[in-house]
Formats: sequence, structure tokens, C-alpha cells
Amino acid sequence: MKYIKCIIIIGVFILIFFFINHLLMPKYSETLREGSLTREYYKEDKNHEVIFLGDCEVYANFSPMVLYEKAGITSYVRGNSQQLINQSYYILKETLKYEIPKVVVFNVNSMRYGEDEKNEAYNRLLIDNMKWSKEKIDLINSSMTEGETFLSYVFPILRYHSRFSKLTSEDFKYFLKPKQNSFNGFLITKKIKPYTSLPPKKVLANYNFSDYSYEYLNKITELCQKNNIELILIKAPSLYPYWYNEYDNQIRQYALENNLDYYNLFEEKDVIGIDYQLDTYDGGLHLNLSGATKLSEYFAKILKDNYNLTDYRTDKKISSIYNEKLKEYNKLIKE
Amino acid sequence: MQILLLILSILIYLFFGKIGFIYLLFSCISSFILSKYLNGRHKKLALIMSITLTLILYLFFKFINFFDFKNIFVPLGISYYTLQIFSYLIDLYKGKIKREKNFFRYLLYVIYFPYIFIGPITKYQDIKEDFDHCKKFHKENFSLGIPRIVWGLFKKIVIANRMWIIINTITNNSYVGSYVLLACLLYSILLYCDFSGGIDIVLGISKIFGINLKENFNLPFKSESVKEFWNRWHISLGTWLRDYIYIPLGGNRCSKIRQKINVILTFLVSGFWHGTTYIFWGLLNGILVAFSSKLKTKYKILNQIITYVLISLLWVFFIYQNSFIKPFTMLISIFTTFNYLDLFKNIPNLGLDILNYIVLIISILTLFYYDYHKDKINQKFKTSKIEFKTFAICLLVIIILIFGVYGFGFEVKDFIYSKF
Repeated sequence: MKYIKCIIIIGVFILIFFFINHLLMPKYSETLREGSLTREYYKEDKNHEVIFLGDCEVYANFSPMVLYEKAGITSYVRGNSQQLINQSYYILKETLKYEIPKVVVFNVNSMRYGEDEKNEAYNRLLIDNMKWSKEKIDLINSSMTEGETFLSYVFPILRYHSRFSKLTSEDFKYFLKPKQNSFNGFLITKKIKPYTSLPPKKVLANYNFSDYSYEYLNKITELCQKNNIELILIKAPSLYPYWYNEYDNQIRQYALENNLDYYNLFEEKDVIGIDYQLDTYDGGLHLNLSGATKLSEYFAKILKDNYNLTDYRTDKKISSIYNEKLKEYNKLIKE
Repeated sequence: MQILLLILSILIYLFFGKIGFIYLLFSCISSFILSKYLNGRHKKLALIMSITLTLILYLFFKFINFFDFKNIFVPLGISYYTLQIFSYLIDLYKGKIKREKNFFRYLLYVIYFPYIFIGPITKYQDIKEDFDHCKKFHKENFSLGIPRIVWGLFKKIVIANRMWIIINTITNNSYVGSYVLLACLLYSILLYCDFSGGIDIVLGISKIFGINLKENFNLPFKSESVKEFWNRWHISLGTWLRDYIYIPLGGNRCSKIRQKINVILTFLVSGFWHGTTYIFWGLLNGILVAFSSKLKTKYKILNQIITYVLISLLWVFFIYQNSFIKPFTMLISIFTTFNYLDLFKNIPNLGLDILNYIVLIISILTLFYYDYHKDKINQKFKTSKIEFKTFAICLLVIIILIFGVYGFGFEVKDFIYSKF
């Protein structure tokens, strides 16, 4: 009997442990909204024909709501802050477990970063709320920086225990139900911070993408081919960090060799109508709502005209879901 | 069980020490072979040879450290196992113990994993019987060993690592004057928690295997003189120095001046054992111990405060351990830079926020309460129901997990005494 009591006591403490573990984790609801992106995908109906992959240049710049409104395209942005190319690969792999889209749009900005750009804080934003799967394990192993431990991803308390003195009302308010921040992975930012100046363009010692970057780009390409998915490479229209001609040429060459479409949308900025005095929230690095709307309208046309996608605006079931979201979306952008 | 302990010890040493194992093995083999001759006709020669062989290796690595060849590797635990080998050889030479005929049992005595990295420095005769008798696990040993380990972790992770943040802020920002004084005063508690926490873990692990190691601390801050302090702090090293340095030098069976010289010489050896930059620390402690009776007052509490402050001031050699000069300049700054008001205003900026200070203060109070009522609390715990024991251990684990200072973003210090 006394051993049963002991087991009960240990059980209660395990429950307390998980309670505290959850309490101490950042809630990514009002602050660090980007951390909510991974989590929000799981709540979605998985019926998207287009999946966007990449870093902040996708989740800030492409609005699936506009793609639907303008062309009836169902899409989701699986973007994260500083999503590195190895991470894009594992995120794609995970996505394919839930759904097989017709088109995957990959923002090639991360090609410039090799293995050395791994960063613990960005890892956390991406991985903390990811569901456990083989892909998550592989992603953690390929993302960890020096000093990080796998165990701290299994038990986040090992990473976040020091937050006990920094807990805010957000941690309690969103303890059970975290806030929904994105619309199909798109994070709305309405703020305007016009472009004024940028750091001078540096001459680099080496413009070649690393073998590491190519290894994962090849993996993404192969995965798409294996699943009959059209892979589109894009470069979002950000003024900074500079996308050098040497980078662009390498991607064009890669696209040519692998029979892929590549759109450098920065070159199309005037056609799209992006005004960096009005359409950016951080001086040209990312687009704000106005810029994202223009870009998404433009890109919706490219997708509609060139890739055999379904117009779901006439589909009763799907249109009701999207119309509901659009109502919320329009309400929010008018606020 | 002994085979299990030996395999575990070798594996753990190889995991941390790798090629250091070769040096350890050399010292063990050479001392084991020569120990055969320690009760024969040429026993003096055998003793000199066996000690010299081990000592050469030890001094080699200590001098490498002195010349600051940072990339040269030092075998792990060399300071501890060298003293253990010496004590075995000398005791055998003096006929206090019987020679261990089984090399593997001798190797286990030297490499036994709980104490090889941090001590306590254990004499062969103090552990031999426990090695002989530990044949299987007993649940009573578990219920005593586990709480001791968890308590040690609490001292290290919750208190010592938290205090490191303050000390690091002071040293990294090159603060002087009152800040150095604060660092020294805190370092006493930090080192106590770090070292005795490590020893708690060692003793707890040993207990689980049924091996009872001797205590290494006995309420050191209760000391009324520096001499008493060194009888209560790092007891195993103090005992070793007394038995193998101080007494052979003549101990207290000689003139008063000679006695004082013997004390100072013994502390110089202690300083050298810690490292070449600790020689002045040893010397000053030796002087304080030799003249400790002169510093005593009629008042117990005043004596305790004086002892605490004197001992703390000398930790400056530990805080600024990589230099011969800096500890002195920092000590002098305490008496020449009067920035106490500045320190008072700056306390919130020493790396801890208010909640962390509260955690630290409560933890230290808990620690001292436990230390001063240890026998009573331990007795109660021993006789308490297993449900209560389980509850207490789980609670302490949760407290360590939440309030501990560890993991990514923290410069977690290894146990200080594992570096000597």
C-alpha cells in the first residue's frame, strides 16, 4: 500500500512538472507572435493547393487570404523567422504527412546562409510548438547550436526555467488557449516605417552558395518531384539584406538545370507597385499589410495563369471556411 | 559489486579523461609494483622510488599549469589520486595497513568514480572494509543516498550557480573596492555550496553502493578562529596534510617558533596543491592559522565574524585565480577605494533581479537552518514514512528544476574543486 502511495505522489509531481513546464514556456500570443506560426498550422483543415516555405520574407509578404479572394487559391504559409534551408526541408516533409499540395513556393533567401547561421532563439520560435514526429527529431538534430541539448526540446523547462521571474499576465491568460495570430500563416503588420537608407553594399569574399545549402535545396527538389509537386523558387522583394546578382545567377542556373520556375520578385517591384515609403514596416526589409496585399495580388495572377490550380470560390464547403476567415481578416485590417 | 564499481569507474574516467587514464594507470601500476617492497629490507628506497615516480608526473602537470601552457592537457583528478596513492604507500611503509595484493582492488581504491574528481581524499583503510562488504544494493542505502544527492544538487545549482552570476558581473566589469569585498564575502558561501554540494553528491552516490565516505565539512562558518575553520573545512585534505606533512615536519612536538613554521609550510603545500597561483593564499592562511590565537576576542559572535571576514578576504586568490598580482591589487582596493554608496545603488544591476535575490536569500537561510539542525532533521527523515521521503525528494527536484541556474544561456561552472 505504501508503495502505491509513493507512485501516486510521484504521479502528482509529474503532473505538477508538466503544468509548470507549460506555464514557463513562452506563449507566443501577444509578444513574439512569430513563435505561434508552427502551432497554428495544426489547427487548419489540410487542403491547401499551395504551400509557401521560407523565412520572414514569406510570412510577412504573402497573404493567403488575398490569394483566395483574388483567384480562389487555397494556400498556407509555413514560414518562420530565419527559417534555414534545412528547416524548410523538414517542415516540407512534415507538411507532406498531412497534405500533398499541387505547388510549393520556396523563398530562396536562406540559400545565402549556410550551416553557420544556426541560432538558438530562432530554433525555439520554430520548434517549441512543433508536434512530435520523426521530422521534428531530425529538424532538432540538424538545427541545434553548440550548448543546446535535445533534452531541452523534450522538456522545455530545462530551457525556460529562468522565466519564473519574468512571467507576465500573457503566460496565464493564454495558458490553456493561445492566441491565433496568423491568417493561414500570414502575420499582419499594419505599421509603416518608410525606407530611408540602408547599410552600404559590401563586397563579399565569396558569393557561392555553400554545399550545405545546395544539399538541402536538392532534397527539397527531389521531395517535390517524388510527390508530383510543382516547385517554384522565388525571391521576395526585400531591399535588405541585399540579394546580389551573383546569388541570382546561381539560382537561375539551378532552376534551369532542374526545370524549375524562378521569380525574382524584387525585379518586379515596380510592376507590382511596391512603394517602399508606404509598403514596408521596417524600412524595406519586410512588407506591411499594404505591401503584402499588392504582392499577393500580383502573385495570385502568376499562380492562376501558370499552374493548373482550382478556383475554390465555387466550392461550397471550402468557400464557407474561407469566407468566414475573410470576414475576420477584413475586420482586422479595417480596425 | 566491486567489479561493477571498477568497470563503472573506468568507463566514467575514460568518458571524461580519455588519455589521462594512461597516466593514472602508470601511477597505479608503478606504485602497486613498488608497494611489494615496502615491508622488505629496502623499504625506504622503495618508498622514495614509488613516491618519486608518482610525484614526477604530478609536478610535471602542475608546472605546466604554472607556465600557462593552456593547450597542454592535465589528467583529471590527478591532485586527488596522487594524494591517495601517497597515503597508501606511506601507511604501508609505516606498517599501518596490509598490502593490497589484488591490483584491481587497488585500482578501484584509486579510481573509485564518486571521489576521483572532487574528493574527499580517502585513506585506504577508511574504505577497504566498505569495498569488501558492498555485495548488493539495499533499499535503505537508496533512501539515504538519493536525498543526499538531491540536496547536493540544490546547493550547487540553486545557490552556487546563482551566486556565480553576481561574482561574474563583478569580475567581468573589473569592479574594485567594495564590490571586491562583496565578491569575497559571497564567495565563501558560493564555494561552500559548490564544494560541499559536490561532496554531498559523492557521498550520496557512495551511500547507494553501500560505501560510507567520511564527511568533508563540519559547520565551517561556526568557527571562532581561522585554525578552527581549517579543521571544519575540506577535512579530508586537512587530515592528509596533518598526517603526511605537518606531523613528519615535527608537528607540535617542538619549539613554538618551529611549530608556527611547520604550520606555514603545511599551508604552503596546501596552496601548491591547489595550484601555483594559490601559493600566497596558502602562505597567508598559514600565517593566520599560526597566529590565530592572537586574533581571538572574548565574544563568540565577534570571533565568528572576524574568522568569516578573514577567510573570505583570502578567497580573492580563488576569484582572480589566473594571476599572481591581481588578487593583491584587488585586496588593496578594498581598503583604498571607498565606493560603498555606489555598490548599494548598483546591487540591482549585479545580474540578479529582485525575485532571484529572494530565491537566493531563502535558499541560503534554508541551507544554514538545515546545516545547524542537521542531526535532528536527518534523524527525523530517517525514521519518517517512505511516502514523506518520496514527497520531500520530489519537491526538492521540482524546486531545483524551476529555481536552478543551468542550461542554455548560462555559463554553468563545473565544480570548482574538480579543477584542482
